[in-house]
Amino acid sequence: MTAAGGLEKSYRRLLRSFPALYRSRHEEEMLGVLMAAAQPGQRRPGVRESADLLWSALKIRIRMATRRADSQPWAAALALTAVLLPLLMVALKLTFFLVQGTRYGYGTPADILIGAYGQPGAYARSFQLNSYSIAVTANVTGALTAGPVPALVLAALACLGWRRAAAGVAAVVPLAYLGISLTRDFTLLAGPRGDVTLYAYGLEALILLMAPGTPRGWRALRWRPSALLAAATVAAGIGMNGGLRSLFPSARVNLALLGPGLLRYRLAQMPHGFIDRLFGIGAGGWGHWLLYQGTLVAVILVALTIMLLNSPASRRVLALLGFPFALGAVIYLFSLISPPLPGPAGNTLSAAPVLLTLLAAMVLTLGRSLPAGTSP
Amino acid sequence: MSERPLHEPTFLMLTALAKGPQHGYGIITDVERISDGRVRLRAGTLYAALDRVVAEGLVEADRDEVVEGRLRRYYRLTPRGGDRLAAEVARLQHNAAVAAGRLERRGRALGGTT
Repeated sequence: MTAAGGLEKSYRRLLRSFPALYRSRHEEEMLGVLMAAAQPGQRRPGVRESADLLWSALKIRIRMATRRADSQPWAAALALTAVLLPLLMVALKLTFFLVQGTRYGYGTPADILIGAYGQPGAYARSFQLNSYSIAVTANVTGALTAGPVPALVLAALACLGWRRAAAGVAAVVPLAYLGISLTRDFTLLAGPRGDVTLYAYGLEALILLMAPGTPRGWRALRWRPSALLAAATVAAGIGMNGGLRSLFPSARVNLALLGPGLLRYRLAQMPHGFIDRLFGIGAGGWGHWLLYQGTLVAVILVALTIMLLNSPASRRVLALLGFPFALGAVIYLFSLISPPLPGPAGNTLSAAPVLLTLLAAMVLTLGRSLPAGTSP
Repeated sequence: MSERPLHEPTFLMLTALAKGPQHGYGIITDVERISDGRVRLRAGTLYAALDRVVAEGLVEADRDEVVEGRLRRYYRLTPRGGDRLAAEVARLQHNAAVAAGRLERRGRALGGTT
């Protein structure tokens, strides 16, 4: 094979890193440019040239993916989710605060700030029970994930239409949390509730960066499905905090209203502890509380919302919203079935989706703002 | 709303095309000439930049030619691309004029104190 033949073959191999659609339009002309720029007798592509081609292929792939996201239904869905998600996060925090506060007391402002809902004196106790540095670390991570301040600031910025600032706040939460946890061998990343919050913040950062603008989201917001989703969020929040049982201790529901006896029998045969914990009810008599439990109510409300969503953009909103919560739900369910996976394995598993979300956010941001660049 | 300043390689690429339609390798050699050899675009960088300016409507394909069995696609500046380049030139000229004026005043002031 001649030197030029071998070089051309190598270039073609490198050009395979570009998207097929792009290659079908530009491969031959790019090959022409590459061969024209080659040194006489050159047998293989240089390292910098190869790196430049691979890097450019990545940029074009990201750009093409971003352009697809700019298409009408996705653009509308992103704008809508960008305003809806912070509001739902505030609703969830408020539910945690009210349910736990009603049961165990609201605590001091510092307790609320660190997200220790229903744990009066938790902030002061953390300093008594731990070393100063551990208490500070735990409180900072608590304030970032469980605390209400980031969610409130994010919602305010999204309401004001300050998209980039809101994206910054949303990105800071998982990044700071990850930074802190890196210094502690990922041990802080365990815990289902924190994970769901991190996914939600990471996703919100990603959506805000890609969304065409929050004002468009406000215009697209329809009150009925949005109210149902908010109600589902509140219901899920109640379910995650032990259900309504403690709020209405004397309430009783006749299960006969729920359906035929066979269904009741089947439900009764399911693993007792798992079902109890899934629906947030205490041991014994779970059936009495089924109707009251947030998880079930949330499922019903989400199903109703799906029935109301009849546009492609709305369905995409639900898919976007479902992403962090589906990941969080898997870990939550695992934590209910058995003790969390031990040690580094469990923590790494918890960290992986957060890392992937952040990576996607960074790559997409890169694709949007990269300058044309020069060769070194 | 004012547009973002152009990055230098994009500015040089549009400048190269302001002369008339050029093919990919022609743009690379012209950019090198315009920048006195300081900026040498690599093929990957060129096509990533072209992809973007074409998507923004600043540049468009002009014609295809086959030379020695190789495809050459020529690109040309669109009217919008011409306007964008002109706006960038005006911006750079304004900044340069302000900087030159201030440096001149500074030189006079320093000269006056000694």
